[in-house]
Amino acid sequence: MVLELASVSKRYGRRSALDRVSLAIPPGAALGLLGPNGAGKTTTLRLLLGFTRPSEGQVTLRGRRPSDPASRLGVAYLPERLALPARMTVRDFLRLHGTLAGLAGAALLREIDAVLERTGLAGRAGDRLGGLSKGLKQRVGFAQALLGEPSLLLLDEPTSGLDPLGVRDARDWILAARARGASVLVSSHVLSEVERTCDHVAILNEGRVAAQGPLGELLRPGESLEDAFVRCVRA
Amino acid sequence: MTPDATRTFAALAREALGDALRRRLVLAIAVASLLSLQVVDSCTSCGSATFTRDGETVAMPDVAGFSALAVAIACGLWTLILAGALASDHLADPLQDGSAALVLARPVGRGSFALARLAGALAIALVSGAVLLFGAGVLLHARQGLAWPPLLAAFAACAAGASTVGALTMAASLFLPRIATLLLLLMSVAGIAAANVAALLGAQLGGFAAVIDGYGPPLVSSIALALREWIAPTAVPGNALALGLRHAVWMLASSALLIHAFRRVDLE
Repeated sequence: MVLELASVSKRYGRRSALDRVSLAIPPGAALGLLGPNGAGKTTTLRLLLGFTRPSEGQVTLRGRRPSDPASRLGVAYLPERLALPARMTVRDFLRLHGTLAGLAGAALLREIDAVLERTGLAGRAGDRLGGLSKGLKQRVGFAQALLGEPSLLLLDEPTSGLDPLGVRDARDWILAARARGASVLVSSHVLSEVERTCDHVAILNEGRVAAQGPLGELLRPGESLEDAFVRCVRA
Repeated sequence: MTPDATRTFAALAREALGDALRRRLVLAIAVASLLSLQVVDSCTSCGSATFTRDGETVAMPDVAGFSALAVAIACGLWTLILAGALASDHLADPLQDGSAALVLARPVGRGSFALARLAGALAIALVSGAVLLFGAGVLLHARQGLAWPPLLAAFAACAAGASTVGALTMAASLFLPRIATLLLLLMSVAGIAAANVAALLGAQLGGFAAVIDGYGPPLVSSIALALREWIAPTAVPGNALALGLRHAVWMLASSALLIHAFRRVDLE
């Protein structure tokens, strides 16, 4: 498994954010993590990246504990709340993240040019991040995530702030990553996008897994993902 | 691809330095350093003057070493406070605004990230400290004939102290609000400096003050010991090797504490 949560609980004081959650993504699969606000989606991502530790249970990322930096080799992350250093230029920001991803020298420069081109930022490479619109910042977030062809993409509300063209581009980037064998975890409220980009779905509700499985098995005949979501959350 | 640890640290430290340089505070530091040099200039420009003490006329050159030592210690304390002030939000801010999360989602250890942020803050403080200390040294050498080589050891002592103060302040900033961190910094440096100075002046210290002077980071006593040649080698008690060792222990312990504290912090 590329990532796995085995009976994981996370409590903040008396409040339970996750309650015995078990999830896994096999190599090359794309899991859509759905749930209403406060269901525990972002907490799940934070646990996977080692930002916080589980109260109970075990989390593994690429077969290692998330506290081990080596577990994040080839992993790319796009947070929901994307905070970019305002005075850095787009190119410098990508150079930093390319270096942290293990790229160097001519390969790094080539890769930066390639992602700038792919994300439509080639003309904005010298712009300071603080001066970019929300949509362009989200494109920069995607650009850093796509650097070095990661084998696992962790995306938290990836289409947030993007216009319809940007949403379509984002979908294409995710599908292109999948086409070359990358695994993807998308946490999103936009069910239609999850339906188009993911083959597995897990629905969280109040910190518990309400349903999970391959998309085709989760939906009842004639049911849309939205219908299934409402059914699982209201059950 | 496995990121090279040295290259990763260098990239993080460069970014931390750039981040520190982009802050408005650095402009204020540059202005304050230049103003301080102006003060040092006026403090060292009375080489031929005399003053009266207990009815006796004393020539300034006779006490030049003491005044020079006081100037050097003041420059050192400025560097220490500056290192702490810069460190007080240089790690806490990226954690709070969320920009640290993107970096720490890469194969970057928390220890590397924290030490790189510390290095960025220290670089600014030490450049400012070097300008002040060596600027004063040039003036003191030209006007009062004091040797400048001891300043190298004094700067090394100052750098070691700044590293300790910066690391401890940064660790405190992970748990305390900025204002409380700054107050703690000021009180701690002032307390240690007071204990060191009192011991240098021959006061019999007891209790907590004696513990601070005897086992705390030798922030002022090591600078004074490095510059004792300016007054009289016997005027400043202490063993350079022992103080150097104590500095090293505090540097390592404070960095280890910072890393340990940062590993326990939950990120947003």
